[in-house]
Parts: sequence; structure tokens; C-alpha cells
Amino acid sequence: MKRKKRLLLAAILGATLLFTACQSTDVVGKVAVTSFEEMLNAASDNVSFDEEKGTWTLESPAGDEFKWSKDFSATEADSIIEFDAAPYISAGLDVTKLPENYSYDPSTGRLSLNFALGDEKFSYSGEAKPLDSFKKIVEAKRSLIGYHEALDHYGIALGDGNMFEWAKDMTKNDKDIVFVLNPQPFIDAGVNPEQVEGWVFAKVEMMENGKKFEVDKLLKPFDLK
Amino acid sequence: MRNENLKILGMTCAACAKAAERAVGKLDGVEKVSVNYATEKMNVDFDAEKVSIEQIKAAVSKAGYEAEEEKETKEVSMPVSGMTCAACAKAIEKAVGKLQGVESVAVNFATEKVSVKYNPKDVRLSEIKQTIIKAGYTPLEIENKNRVDEDKERKEKEIKTLWIKFVISAIFTVPLVYIAMGPMVPWLGWKLPAWLEPMQFPLLYGLVELALTIPVIIAGYRFYTVGFKAIIRRSPNMDSLIAMGTAAAVIYSIYSIYRISIYDFMYVDDLYFETAGVIITLILLGKYLEAVSKGRTSEAIKKLMGLAPKTAIVIQDDKEIEIPIEEVEVGDIILVKPGEKIPVDGEVIEGHTTIDESMLTGESIPVDKKVGDKVIGASINKHGSIKFRATKVGSDTALAQIIKLVEDAQGSKAPIAQMADIVSGYFVPIVFVIATLSAAIWYFTGQDAVFALTIFIAVLVIACPCALGLATPTAIMVGTGKGAEYGVLIKGGEALETTHKVQTIVFDKTGTITEGRPEVTDIVHTDVIDRNRLLQIAASAEKGSEHPLGEAIVRGAEKENLEMLKLDRFLAIPGHGIEVEIEGQIILLGNRKLMVERNIELAQLEEESDRLASEGKTPMYMAIDSQLAGIIAVADIVKESSAKAIRKLHEMGIEVAMITGDNKKTAQAIAKQVGIDRVLAEVLPGDKANEVKKLQEEGKKVAMVGDGINDAPALAQADIGIAIGSGTDVAMESADIVLMRSDLMDVPTAIQLSKSTLRNIKQNLFWAFAYNVAGIPLAAGLLYAFGGPKLNPVFAAAAMSLSSVSVLTNALRLKNFKPYK
Repeated sequence: MKRKKRLLLAAILGATLLFTACQSTDVVGKVAVTSFEEMLNAASDNVSFDEEKGTWTLESPAGDEFKWSKDFSATEADSIIEFDAAPYISAGLDVTKLPENYSYDPSTGRLSLNFALGDEKFSYSGEAKPLDSFKKIVEAKRSLIGYHEALDHYGIALGDGNMFEWAKDMTKNDKDIVFVLNPQPFIDAGVNPEQVEGWVFAKVEMMENGKKFEVDKLLKPFDLK
Repeated sequence: MRNENLKILGMTCAACAKAAERAVGKLDGVEKVSVNYATEKMNVDFDAEKVSIEQIKAAVSKAGYEAEEEKETKEVSMPVSGMTCAACAKAIEKAVGKLQGVESVAVNFATEKVSVKYNPKDVRLSEIKQTIIKAGYTPLEIENKNRVDEDKERKEKEIKTLWIKFVISAIFTVPLVYIAMGPMVPWLGWKLPAWLEPMQFPLLYGLVELALTIPVIIAGYRFYTVGFKAIIRRSPNMDSLIAMGTAAAVIYSIYSIYRISIYDFMYVDDLYFETAGVIITLILLGKYLEAVSKGRTSEAIKKLMGLAPKTAIVIQDDKEIEIPIEEVEVGDIILVKPGEKIPVDGEVIEGHTTIDESMLTGESIPVDKKVGDKVIGASINKHGSIKFRATKVGSDTALAQIIKLVEDAQGSKAPIAQMADIVSGYFVPIVFVIATLSAAIWYFTGQDAVFALTIFIAVLVIACPCALGLATPTAIMVGTGKGAEYGVLIKGGEALETTHKVQTIVFDKTGTITEGRPEVTDIVHTDVIDRNRLLQIAASAEKGSEHPLGEAIVRGAEKENLEMLKLDRFLAIPGHGIEVEIEGQIILLGNRKLMVERNIELAQLEEESDRLASEGKTPMYMAIDSQLAGIIAVADIVKESSAKAIRKLHEMGIEVAMITGDNKKTAQAIAKQVGIDRVLAEVLPGDKANEVKKLQEEGKKVAMVGDGINDAPALAQADIGIAIGSGTDVAMESADIVLMRSDLMDVPTAIQLSKSTLRNIKQNLFWAFAYNVAGIPLAAGLLYAFGGPKLNPVFAAAAMSLSSVSVLTNALRLKNFKPYK
């Protein structure tokens, strides 16, 4: 009887270890893709391909853009967040003081935050679609995808504390997508973050390395429904 | 009515003891049952016609524990030569198996060994050997294994197993805590590997925690098997609390994993595997420390058991044969050389030596032994070689009796323990109710399920009745053990507890306050004779007398090397003295009455006589040829320690009385000499108990100290009877405390030990109650309700383990007890 119990427990332990070793445990990666797809479907009219930059573009109702590469090996900036610079300039932005990967186009009045995420070559069987490219990013750079518990969002970490987030379940969330920017480079460039019109300067609870903490962020959420 | 002791296995807390008591107590025919958790023993009085021991064992088993009869069974493996076939083996089995007291016998023809399990009370090993010889075979030197060794092995195994379980548990719990909690403490700077990032790989994170928890649960599986069984039987115990608390944490965490697997990633915050892991690990550590400490509390017994030598040199046919001590028979002549231990009790028949009996009596000065003197087994022969005849062997020896007495005392319960037992019995169910109520109140007043769950777990885990159950028996074990070390044998927990309440101590005079051996103290003579001649004639007259006063005079003359004169005539005059004729002179030796009757003029020494009597001495007049020759005063010498002991008792606020059959004058004189407060003189032996009763009727707790058979009723009547070890067996049987030495300083030592033990018990009970009284409300979230912190179940587990360990550590402090000097 005792032997049977021990065997049973050993079997449970073995099965657990086997299960943990299995890829199917990546529930975040899996659902991140499905929820991204739902988000793309909800904003299908605002999704396009930027031939010049080789990126897919998701445009918010206010014209802010999140771009993601079709092929990391072919793009210099693998992901871009682009938005109207005017509210920042009004809040004191000196564009010359921005970091290198931040670019301001005086002709369009738009500010681009360019992120290099990798050099991987993405190959597609058939014609590539926006979701396919996102899947390739998840496969190649899984560690960039995370779950943001406080907002029940998924997010892609773009670097330097900048993120693009989307709701895990749009039916239960009024913030379907959120542009999340690190305010520090802007503050360093003269911006008073509390005076950036259209953007919310707030403390956000994040988790990294199993540790929860609060950080200042500039947020711009949208309800796509 | 039959009384049996059973060993109860599988108990983990005081509630288990209570559950076993309840189960057996319900049986028809069981008069009284008491289970001591610390010694793991059940003492049961039952009517053997109504209920059998097997039914009692079955009731214990049904309650979830295991009962073994405490038989004094010995197991012997004895090589036997002369077997030629399997039939020989069968023949031996048959012959030995027929002996009364043999429980089982198995003969292995291949190894040529006979294994016999027998009760030494019913059958002697020599009888078994004789039976084998009669059957035609030759028993050789035996190898034996007794109950004590088995018990020791079992305890050592238990300690080792607990240690291994703790280590396994800790090995898995440390990384579990690292993963679950480390990153939450920023200053530690602990980091998790990317693949364990809970917000990126929550399911993997949860599964890894589960994988680490499973071995911990396996290590602590006993908590679940015992704990849940106890719940099913409706007698929850400490294991039930642990099992419920940790199972709740694990089950909820598994549920959280399930929720994560269906993409409710927020449940990654609701994993409580580390709580269960830490609780089990800490409790295993606590149990290990408890087992080690419990072992230390019975060290006194182990020490006593280790005193006996393994072999003895027996003289047989003028040859010295070394045999195992178990084979020594009453009547055997045993040789003991200098430096060797006396193997059994006996009487010296040849040689002279000094023997160190300190290990048994606490007396540090070696005692001279000559032919006719008694020797005690396990004492050490210092200088000369002696031969002695064994008078007591096996369980009859003084050492075996002491061990039994101490064992019985350690297994007994003090009245103060009853309160702890009652509380422990109701404790666990009440805790379940409190835990459930607290969790429900928090939940229904707006807190979420997780909050309620942590409250539930914390209350279950912190409220352990372990410390309550250990508080009294461990202190009694250490206290009685320590007493045994100093030659103060306390027969039970009740005696130990009552002793500290004693307000009046009644000492018997002769043999207790005094040496009980009168000696010549004064010689007063007239002009008709000189001092030495007076003593010489008196001693010659008393030579051969069996009267203690006469013996004292003879000893006095012998001390002064006076030669005895030849008696021509001897006449004993009962109640008066003697009349003898020596060298033609008529000698009268006796009391005043004798002199008055024979018209001897006493005026010349009347004043001296009164003075001697007032000093508590007995004056004996001597007349030669009708002329007063002198007085020889004889007195029982007061023991050196008497006055000091009585002074010490006064310092302790205890009234000291002396009881004696002597006349008031003599009694008063002795009383004055040693500082007695109250003298009960001219008391007939049969009235001693009545005198004690009278004192008790004054509302006092009375202890009686005595040594003689005539003291036995008074020892029994007193609240505490203290027998002097040099006294009679009857006195020791009637007493609650036996002093191995004749030193009265051991009386204040016994009271001091009782006070120290009771103080220790009270401290233990205080801590045990304080932990629970403070811990339960804290765990239930009382502080949190007023804006304070909430008790993490992990800290609750640590506090709980600490409570048992602290109680045991406090009990072990008694080992530092030092008696008055």
C-alpha cells in the first residue's frame, strides 16, 4: 500500500515536471497572440502596411501609431511608436534634446520612437498578414511579451520602459489599446509631463522579475469598440 | 481489577493522548485510563472479565494509534550446539515452548541459534537453558536484546527519520521560497530566470512551485494521513490542523494554476505553495527538535540503565567464570576486583573494601564494606577484592527497583496536568471553529476569498496544542530524573506537585533525626570505682545483651579496648535492668526504679542524673555490692545534617515537628538541640498516624519523614510520606518520596526540587497558553481590523514550532537544578 502511494506521488511529480518542460505551458504567449488578433479585428480599418519602413501599422482613433516589423532582418526600426508632437512641444519639449532613437519630423509635426528589437529573418508560407508578423515576433522575442496584471493587458516591451499594450479581453476592458511611454527622456528634454495634452501622466503598477513596483508613465489609452 | 501499561505509538500531540484516552475510556469494564503524551504510555485499570487487553488495543487502534503491551519481555538469541537435523530444532522448540512464560521460540537449524522471547518474571533463563540441556543439546553464550535497547533504537530511528524528512523538505522549500517570495524583498536583490517571470510564464511559474511542493508534502505525508483520519474519526488533533491548513493552501494554489491555465493570469498572485512548504518544513524541524529534547528528558533513566555492568565473575567449582549478568542467580558467589562494578545486590562473604555508591545514593564518600555488609549492584568497588553472595538479581535489584520507580514517576500525571489535558482535548475542535468563523467574518465583511483563506490557514497553523501537552510531563520527567541523580526518588507527578505545598514536616526521631544507634556519652563515677573499671564491669555485664542500650555500652568499652570480665551469674530484670556477679561482686545495672527497689542510695548522683536526662540522655545507674558506683549515660546521637536541614526548612517557612515514643524531657532535649518547633512525645507507634491526622485537621499540608515499619501508617497518612533510604522496605513502599541516603538535607532538596519543577511547569503552561492566547487573535486578523498587520501563515508556523521548542527548552533548564548544600 505504502509502495503504491509512493509510486503514485512519484508519478505525479514526474508528470508535473514533464508538463512544466512542455511548451504548452506558455499560456501568456498563446493568449497574447489571440487577443492581439481580436484587437486587430476590432481595428481592421486602421491596420495597414508601411512599404517604406517595412512595418505594419495600427492607427489609433486619434492618429497615434504602433508599428511592428514584417521582418526584423529587413528593418532598421523593428517597432515604432509615432504620434503628434504638438502636445509635447506645448509642454516644453526641446526636440534637440531627445535621445537618438527618438526622431521628430518638422514637416509632419510627428514624433517617432524607433526600437531595434532584433535581426531575425522572418519567413512566411504565403502572403504575410499583420498577425503573422506579430506571431513571428512572439516566437523570436518571447521575453518581450508580458502580462500586465493591473490593467489586465498584454504588452510588448519595446525598450527603455516604453510599451504598447492591448486588452486581454476587449469585452471586459475599456482600454483596448494603450500607448505607454517612459516620461524620463521627455522630462530630460524639457517636458512637463503633467501638461502633455491627451496623455495621462500616472503611476503604473508593473511587475518585473516577480517583483511589483510602481513607475511613472505617460499613457494614452483608446477604446476601439 | 487489572492494571496494565501500554506503549502508545503514533501520537503527535496532547489531543492524540486525549483521543486515545477517550476511545479506551468508553469501553465497558475500563475503570480508569490515563495517557501520558511525553512518555507515550497508557495506564489502564480494567475489569479483565468485562474487557480484554486485546479489546483495549483494538480501541486504541480504531482511534488511529497503535498500542503495544509493556511487557518485561526479554529476547534472547542463544547459540546451541548438538543439533544434527531439522528435527532437533523442532525438539528444542517443543521443549522450550512448553515452559510457562515463554512467549515464542524459534530455532534456526542453519545458524544453530535459538531465539526465545520470554517474560523473566515467569521463567528464568537458567530454566530455559536447563530445558535445552535436558532435551540433549548444549546452550552456548547468549546474545541478548532487551526492551530498553529496542525502545532506544526506535527513538533514535524516529529522530533520524524526522531529520531526513526535515532536510528533504528544506531542500525543496528553500528554492520554493526563493521563487515565491525572494523577489518581493527588493533589498535582497534576488532575481528569477526569465523563463520563470510570473507575468510572462505564469503557468510554468505555478507548476514549478507545485513541483517543488510535492516532495515537501511527501516528507510531511504523515500530517495528512494521521490528521485527516483524526478528522474522520471526529477527534481532530494537531496533525489535523497542519493538514487542513496546508491542504487549504495547496488546493487553492492548484485551483489558481488551473485558472492560470485557462488564461486567468491574475491568479499568479494567488499561489500559496510556499506557505504550505514552509509550514511543513518548520513543523518537521519543530518535531525533530521535540524528539531530540524528549529524548533528553529521559536521560536520567538511560543513565541509570547504563550503570549496570554487562557481565559478572562467578565462582563455580573454585573457578572464575565470566557470565552475562542476566545469568547470575540468587546464591551465586561473585568475585569483584578493585575498580570493577558490583553486578547485582548481595552480601559480602569475604574480603574488605570501600565502595562508591554515589551513583545510587548521591553520597560522595565511599562506604566501607566488610563481611556481612550489603552491597548494591552498579556501585563501584574501589580498593579491595571481595566475594559476595548474590541476594537479588534481575528486576529485584535495587537499581532495577529505582529504574522502575523513576519510570513510573515519569509516566505519571500531576494534578496540574489534568487542566492542560482538558484544555487540549477541546482545543483543536475550538480552533477549527475559530478559524472557520474568522475566515467567514472577514469574507462576509468585504474581504476577498484569498484574504479569508490566509486567515483560516494562519489560525489553524498557529494554534497547536503541542506545547500544552508537553508543558507538564516534560518538566516532571526532568524533575524526577534530576531527583534520582541526587538520590531523591519521587514516586509520581502528584507527589512532586504536592511536596511544594507542605507546611509542616513531622520527623520521626530515632533513625531519622538521630542515627538510631545509641552510644555512651557520659560516665559519672563515685569514689568506690574509677571510670574505666566502671565501664569495663558494665560492658562485661551487658555482653551478649540484645538491648540497644546494653549494646551501646559494649561498643563503648570495645572502643576503649577494655577487656571483658567473666560473668559468674546473670539475671535479667525485665523493664528494670540486670543483676550479675563478677569476680564475687554483685553488680546492679539499670534504671532508677531498679535502684530504688534495691534500696540503693542515689542522692550523691541525683543532680547528675537529672542533668543527663535533661540533655536527652538515658542515665543507667550501676551499683556494686549495694553501693552506688556511678552512672553511664547513653544517647542516640543526632545526625550531623539534622540541625542544618531543619534550619533550611525553617528558612523555607516550614514548621518542623518531631514525633517519638520517648518521654517529654528526652524529646525536648533533642528538639532543642536541632531546633524542632513542635514536639510530639510519648506517642505509641500505632498512634503516629493519628498525630499526623491531627496536624492535617489543623488545615495543614503535612509531610512525614520516617524509616521504620512503625512509621509506615504515618507515612501513608501524611500528604507526603518521605522514607529514609536506609530504612525498611515497608517504609519505602508506603512513602511518596524515598531518600536514598540518610542525610536529612535531602528533605529540603526534595521540597526545593518540587518547587523548581512546579515553577517550571507553570512557566511552561504560561508560555503554551500565551502563544495560543496571543497567537489566535493575531492570526484571526484582530490587529488588521484595527489597521495593524495581518499574520502571515508562515510566521504562524514558525511561532507554533517555537512554542513547543521553547517549552521543551525551558523544561530542560531543570537539568541545571542544584540541591542545597
